[in-house]
Amino acid sequence: MEGLYFNVNSGYVEGIVRGYKNSLLTGQNYSNLTQCETIDDVKLQLGPSYGDFLASLPPNPSTSALAGRMTDKLVSEFRYLVAQSTGSTAKFLKYLTYGYMIDNIALLITGTLHERDTRELLERCHPLGWFETLPVLCVATNIEELYNSVLIETPLAPYFKGSLNHQDLDELNIEIVRNTLYKNYLEDFYKFVNTDSDFNGPTQEVMSEILQFEADRRSINITLNSFGTELSKQERRKLYPEFGKLYPEGSLMLSRAEDVEGVALAVSAVAEYKTFFDAVGLSQGGGSMGGIGGSDGKSLEDLFYQKEMEMGKLVFTRQFTPAVVYAWMKLKEQEIRNVTWISECIAQNQKERIGNFISVF
Amino acid sequence: MSGAVGREPVFPTRQSLGLMKSKLKGAETGHSLLKRKSEALTKRFREITRRIDEAKQKMGRVMQIAAFSLAEVSYAVGGDIGYQVQESAKQARFRVRAKHENVSGVFLPQFESYTKDGINDFALTGLGKGGQQIQRCRETYARAVETLVELASLQTAFLILDEVIKVVNRRVNAIEHVIIPRTENTIKYINSELDELDREEFYRLKKVSNKKQRDNAAADAEILAARQKKKEAELQAQKSTPAQEATGATDATEAAEATEEAAEPEEPEPVDVLGEQEDNDVIF
Repeated sequence: MEGLYFNVNSGYVEGIVRGYKNSLLTGQNYSNLTQCETIDDVKLQLGPSYGDFLASLPPNPSTSALAGRMTDKLVSEFRYLVAQSTGSTAKFLKYLTYGYMIDNIALLITGTLHERDTRELLERCHPLGWFETLPVLCVATNIEELYNSVLIETPLAPYFKGSLNHQDLDELNIEIVRNTLYKNYLEDFYKFVNTDSDFNGPTQEVMSEILQFEADRRSINITLNSFGTELSKQERRKLYPEFGKLYPEGSLMLSRAEDVEGVALAVSAVAEYKTFFDAVGLSQGGGSMGGIGGSDGKSLEDLFYQKEMEMGKLVFTRQFTPAVVYAWMKLKEQEIRNVTWISECIAQNQKERIGNFISVF
Repeated sequence: MSGAVGREPVFPTRQSLGLMKSKLKGAETGHSLLKRKSEALTKRFREITRRIDEAKQKMGRVMQIAAFSLAEVSYAVGGDIGYQVQESAKQARFRVRAKHENVSGVFLPQFESYTKDGINDFALTGLGKGGQQIQRCRETYARAVETLVELASLQTAFLILDEVIKVVNRRVNAIEHVIIPRTENTIKYINSELDELDREEFYRLKKVSNKKQRDNAAADAEILAARQKKKEAELQAQKSTPAQEATGATDATEAAEATEEAAEPEEPEPVDVLGEQEDNDVIF
């Protein structure tokens, strides 16, 4: 019954996204891309899916320009979806942009902290994280002003409220601020998909799974990356989202972990993470800390991406849910990363690692 | 050669001859010293050139790896971290110390790199994802910068040595082709002038002695004539005083002896000078 009225409001959006999904690059496309000799060849190969957006690029564009144009396409498609959506689907799409907003705000806070002219930072902001009051952030010249009068007006205000005050913004490392915000965002998003009555059924199921995975991934990554830094265990614990398969026992163990073995032990309760750790051989404590040097050239990060992509792919087996938009966005982002990686390999003549991308179709 | 080089404007005296000879000796010593310095520098220069070649090739490889690790970072992070890194870096972790090295009197600056391990300003960048790649990338770039520093110190040494070698070689050539020939020319000139003077002097002395001989002969003749006259006078007036005759004769012989003595001490000197001239002639 849950799908009965879905198509009244959101059927078009879902249909469009499924169309978009078909233009994602397939394994065949990727193997063509890896055969390319120059960036121009890459551009040519991307023609069918990215045609108009790449047309204005000069011959032999830089990889960042190429990635920029591909992101432009993603952004314009997403904006179209936003424009077409209503009700809780629109709200869902808004939630998708909050992650980018956090990045943008972190960027602007960094700029304000170092008393830079934040106006020129606006260009560096991710277009998906753009919101109307973002330029207003540039008005603030000090961090207190920024916090008291400007951040309150942004959609992210609830995430600041309660966990960060303006002194924190000044004193804490911007990465901690960013991760605190992200944690709050993930928790909020999780609550949203689980409580909104429109999302009973498939959306709740798939999004919960994806968000739980995302939360666990962040916890594990934060733990791994914080080894050898001044981030204390208490602070670290505050950055773990309070849901997910690892929560609460795994999170607690993660917060106490002091090395990679500790992390492996903490995640061993969850079978799939355990297989990841087994796959990379736990030897990360040695020379290549989590680097690309595991058993089959995959790092933990690669395995997480792979898993995320597979989950994204599975979402398309469900119907009557805006979760496909989320999945499509993640797949598209991964695609941009893949193409950037491939063109980077081609540009730098490092063909031996060119196969190190993730393709699920 | 001698015409092009010319000689120094000195008076051809014995003193300046000595001066020139010591100058020539000095120039020869200086020449050999500078030549040795130049050789030492050139040896060093070649070594540096070889090391620059090595360092440049190494730099190529290292920079490639570094650029690739940055690509890895952008893949893992999925975005641009440049701004965050720029803003969070406050203290230099990688530092360079400058030292001096003395290579045969030339001070070559040497840069020495070292890292301050305590400083890690952007350790938290990429905390959510890609942090490890970022740290790895940082290490790769630190190695790349190390190579660059090494190359920079070699290049500076290269430039300075190049300049110094040019200067030294210029000096060597100047001494070899200008100063030494000119000094030699001057010595030759002074010697020839001195010879000329000596010859003149000899000739003059000869003339003087000739004249003296002539004068002596004339005086002798006169004396003889006077004696003759006296004898005649004696003969004419044999009865006049015989004592007067004796004194006049002794006077005349004494005078002749005196002139001979006066001429004699002067004679060995021209002979001496002649001997020296002959020696000089053998030299040049």
